[in-house]
Amino acid sequence: MTDVSCKTGVELLMDYLEEVVPDDMRALLESHVAGCPKCAAFIASYLATPRILRDATAAAMPPEVQRSLLVFLRAQRGDGPRQKA
Amino acid sequence: MAVPEEATDETLASRAGLGDNHAFDEITIRYQARVYRLACRLVGHDDAPDVVQEGFLSVYRHLASYRQESRFGTWLYRIVTNAALMHRRARSRRPVESLEAYLPRFDATGRHCHTPVELQVAAHADELLDRRALAEEATAALDRLPDLYRSAFVLRDLEELTTAEVADVLGVEPATVRQRVHRARLMLRGYLGALAGVRS
Repeated sequence: MTDVSCKTGVELLMDYLEEVVPDDMRALLESHVAGCPKCAAFIASYLATPRILRDATAAAMPPEVQRSLLVFLRAQRGDGPRQKA
Repeated sequence: MAVPEEATDETLASRAGLGDNHAFDEITIRYQARVYRLACRLVGHDDAPDVVQEGFLSVYRHLASYRQESRFGTWLYRIVTNAALMHRRARSRRPVESLEAYLPRFDATGRHCHTPVELQVAAHADELLDRRALAEEATAALDRLPDLYRSAFVLRDLEELTTAEVADVLGVEPATVRQRVHRARLMLRGYLGALAGVRS
C-alpha cells in the first residue's frame, strides 16, 4: 500500500494523535496529509473543536449554589438543618 | 516560618471516611467548582445544581468504600458522572435531532467532499459567532450527543482527563474511550462548521 484515503486518515486520526497506530501506518498517514490540503484543513478544525467547546462551556459555579451545597450536605450529615434529598 | 502542607485529597478522604466532617467540607470546597462545571456539561445548567448535590452526597455515603486504588479525583468524577447519567435517564427528555448528519462526508474514492477552506471553517467558529450564542449552541450540542459519547468527550476533552483516566472513570477499555471521543469530536466539529456557515 502506497497511500491511504482521506476517509481512512479520518478514521485513524484519534489513534494517530494518541500514538497507538503502527509505525508503518503512521508513516503512510503523515505522507498522505503532507500532500493533501483537504486533510490538513480537516485536522486543523478537528484539533480546534475541543478547545472551542471547552471555552464555550466553562461555567463558573454561582455563589448561591456553593452556599446551598454546603448547607445541604451539612443537613444530610446531621450537623445542620435537615433537608430533603 | 514553615508553611503548613496542604492535606492531599486522599488524606482528606480518609479522614472524612472516619467521620471528620471538616475534612469532607474541605473536599467539597476543593472540588465543587470542577464538579459543577462537569455537571453543567453533562446535564445542562438547569439540572447541574441537583446533580452536584446528588454527586457529593453519594461521595459522602461511599467514602468507606474508597480504597485509594485510583486517585481520589478520578473516583469522585466516576461517582458524579454516574449521578449525571442517572439524572438524565430519570428525566423524560424530548427527542432531539441526532448529530450524525454532521459527520464528515467523502466521495466514492474516499476523498473529502469539500474544499480546504470549507473543511477548516469549524476552527474559526469562536471568531465568527457571538460568544453568548456559541455558549448556548455548545451546551445544546453536548445535550444532543448520545450519552456514551457525551461522557467520554466531556471527561477527555473538556475536563482534560487522560484517556486512561477516562477509561477508569467509565469502566471501559482505553480503545473504547478513543472510539467514543473520536466520534464525538467528528460530530461536534461538523456542528461547529454548520454554525459558522458550512456543513462539511
